[in-house]
Amino acid sequence: MVAIRSLAAILTYLIGLCGMIPLFPWLTTFPRIALVAGLLSGTWQDRRGNWPLKPWIQNIAIVPVFLYYTLQFSRANPIEPVISVLAIMLAVRLSGEKSVRHSLQIYALSMFCLASSSLFDLSPVFLIYLGLLLFMVAVALVLLTFQNQDQAMTVSKPDLKRILFSGLLMPIMVVPLLLLFFPIMPRTQLPLWHFLSPPSTRMTGYSDTVEPGSQSSIAESRTLAFRAEMSRQAQTQPYWRGTVFNRTDGIKWTRSAQVPAENIEITAQTVSQVIYPEPSAVHTLIALDRPTSLSLYSVKRSPDGVYEMIGAAGSRLIYTANSLSSGTVAQRNSLNRLFYLQLPEQLPARVKNLASEIVRAGKDDRAKVQFLESYFRNGGYRYSTVDLATGNRALEQFLFEKKMGHCEFFASTFALLLRAAGVPCRLVGGYLGGEYSQLGGYYLVTDDKAHVWVEVYIEGSGWERIDPSGFASNAGDVWKASGSRSFMHRISLVFDSLNHLWNRSVITYDFEQQMKIARHVGSRLEGVNPTKLLSSFVPYLAGSLLLAGILFTAARSSLFRSREQRILHRFLQTIEHGFDIPAGVGGVGLFEIASTANNSHVSDFVDIYSGAIYHDRRLTDAEYLRLQQILRILKGVKSKIP
Amino acid sequence: MNLPAQAHAFTKVFETLSREYLQGKEEVLRLSVIALLVGGHILVEDLPGLGKTTVALALAGVTGLSFGRVQCTSDLLPSDITGLSIFNREEGHFSFQPGPIFNNIVLLDEINRAMPRTQSAMLEAMEERRVTIEGVTHPLPDPFMVFATQNPSDQSGTFLLPESQLDRFLICTGIGYPAEQLEREIIAGGGIRERIGSMVPLVTSAEILAARKDVQAVYLSDKVLSYIHNLVLATRSHELILTGLSTRAAINLAQAAKASAFLAGRDYVAPDDAKGIAVAVCAHRLVMRSDMTTTDRGGVLRTIIAGIALPLA
Repeated sequence: MVAIRSLAAILTYLIGLCGMIPLFPWLTTFPRIALVAGLLSGTWQDRRGNWPLKPWIQNIAIVPVFLYYTLQFSRANPIEPVISVLAIMLAVRLSGEKSVRHSLQIYALSMFCLASSSLFDLSPVFLIYLGLLLFMVAVALVLLTFQNQDQAMTVSKPDLKRILFSGLLMPIMVVPLLLLFFPIMPRTQLPLWHFLSPPSTRMTGYSDTVEPGSQSSIAESRTLAFRAEMSRQAQTQPYWRGTVFNRTDGIKWTRSAQVPAENIEITAQTVSQVIYPEPSAVHTLIALDRPTSLSLYSVKRSPDGVYEMIGAAGSRLIYTANSLSSGTVAQRNSLNRLFYLQLPEQLPARVKNLASEIVRAGKDDRAKVQFLESYFRNGGYRYSTVDLATGNRALEQFLFEKKMGHCEFFASTFALLLRAAGVPCRLVGGYLGGEYSQLGGYYLVTDDKAHVWVEVYIEGSGWERIDPSGFASNAGDVWKASGSRSFMHRISLVFDSLNHLWNRSVITYDFEQQMKIARHVGSRLEGVNPTKLLSSFVPYLAGSLLLAGILFTAARSSLFRSREQRILHRFLQTIEHGFDIPAGVGGVGLFEIASTANNSHVSDFVDIYSGAIYHDRRLTDAEYLRLQQILRILKGVKSKIP
Repeated sequence: MNLPAQAHAFTKVFETLSREYLQGKEEVLRLSVIALLVGGHILVEDLPGLGKTTVALALAGVTGLSFGRVQCTSDLLPSDITGLSIFNREEGHFSFQPGPIFNNIVLLDEINRAMPRTQSAMLEAMEERRVTIEGVTHPLPDPFMVFATQNPSDQSGTFLLPESQLDRFLICTGIGYPAEQLEREIIAGGGIRERIGSMVPLVTSAEILAARKDVQAVYLSDKVLSYIHNLVLATRSHELILTGLSTRAAINLAQAAKASAFLAGRDYVAPDDAKGIAVAVCAHRLVMRSDMTTTDRGGVLRTIIAGIALPLA
């Protein structure tokens, strides 16, 4: 036996928690404190069973808070005051005595709080909270109905089980409707309120300029950059192309949008991939190096394989890209050498000397590149993200003194030297590597994988990818593919797969995409021999029909009750209430009821009803009307009994 | 069929007996009438002096049927019951002298005092409704009903009826002490044996035979049939019971339920009928597990019945 009162109280707190936890991160300090305080004081008072705070005191106390937030409300700040008031009202109700009315208010407020949390975040966790909340509210409503009748009522374990089951039924029954509404209802791909101020976390890692020497160390963040759904690539560390930097002032590299035409030759099979970038303020679209096409409506394609989104960034996207992954791309038209040999007017003397050394060493471009590569390899350069050279002479310092730096140092200096030696080249910014999730079949690339490398144009071959960071003496340690993964790491990959599934199938749900798949399946089916297909499906079809039939007949008995069953049900209820005879279905016979009730109307009812039922026939209309009459009389009798 | 009119005669029999002669014995009277209507036999298990014989006598009196009585003792021979051929010196041949069993209602008093040989002879006659003596078969009168009594407390020098023979009785019941106020009235009024002698029959034996046909025609719906079947099945799988109810027991229960419905003036059986009569018809047929023989079989059966839902719709 469990006391309904305490059960309802526990449920009320849980429901309150379900409402406040998702909203909590988006609240300001005061409502946060209020929520925690309200919850704590509520539970404490509940344990003591004493409620010094009277509801009217609370109601008055809430008025100034309400007024304050009303004044805060403006067109520029419409959401925060509203959710603050919601949270504070929830806190106040949680802290007070929980009458049935107050409990219902808590449920409603929790529901609102949970709903408003979706203005900020579209996470799959929302669905879990919603399911929990619906379930608990359904159960709590039943319990509250009991509590309303009798404060001291208890409930037995089997009864509790039944209540829980019926509570579970409600969220489950929603699921078919959910599936029905999901494809047709309008949806948002980004949180309604939050997109106006996109998260600032996604600013690191990837930038519009390459400027080594601006910071003495760089912080690495492992926030997600994008996922790329594709088969696993042979190369352990795939290069993901973002942007191309083609101008340099000797210190930093930037991008000039006037890129000369570049007609690349697609010689090999392209790799198709579906990219799911995380929302960010960056317009550049990432794809496996080097993309030959990219499907997105508003996209600006540059000749050098850079794709940029037109319009506001920040929403959740999907696009497919096709790439040549070989690392060397032939170009059909002649190269605008001048454009890729652009250099600042002033170059440090030591750089100039090294460049002329390269020119002397190599008779053609390939030999020059090879010379520079061996120079880097034998120069004792180290890859590092701390203790970096800074300032305007940072590149020179890196090259000749410190000899340690990150990819930007390696790539910038390498390209600068090549250009100084007369070899056309450019810098490519993007990502290197990524975790492959077997479960989800995609590469998971985080921001700390951001990378810069060099593309060199070799006459007769084309654009060749060269990664100068790989020439560092400790490159093997830094860039090696992580072999054995820890257990926690694998777990986090599994969770990421689930998250990805949510983003893919719910947040960025695309009706057209689904239709395309359906059409694809349809066209595939056309080629199939129908009789063969049918015969292979017959057992499944028969099985599912049988199952449906069984379920239907099972459900029929409980869902579609006959006229006889309905009137019997009403009769038994009347008997239970009016005559106080426990007439649970099947426990007591009808004639037993009639003799116990000792009432001529009851006897009449039993005679007429049994006369039909135990003759294995249905009630005639006349009998049915008569029974209804008797029931009405019985109800009248009942109301006369005090 | 105009059942209420025919049933009314028997309802009146029952009511007359229970109101005017045998107050406080409604249950045993009702069961006796049911047994009469089905054509079965009844075994009354109770202490002496509670009116077992009176009930049998009154039943015979009110139905106008012939009455025979056998007081069982350990030296009672089968021929003492069935009768025997006696040499008639004047006519010069053996003539059959029918025993007390050649009556419509036969009271077998304290049946457990008779030795097994006699018991089985009696029970055979009950089942076959005829007696074969010296190669000649003599049919028993119709209606024929045995009203056996048994004293459960007196165990010395008795032969308990084996289970297989208990099965021959349609109904087994007790009588119990009358209610306090009723007993005072009975004490004040004295015995009623004299009044029974002057009873006026209310039904004829032809009417009884006709009523038996009517009882057979009472409608037994599928629902009630399933209920009876479920009950029988439940006794077969109960943990305390070694052997559950036989098919004969189920047939008897259905018949008794029909008679009960007939007595209530209905031409169909309600599950209440089966439920109300189940303990009287079935309890004595249950064979309990060897370590549970002292368990109250009626109680076990009542628990089983409580676990089976009555078909109400």
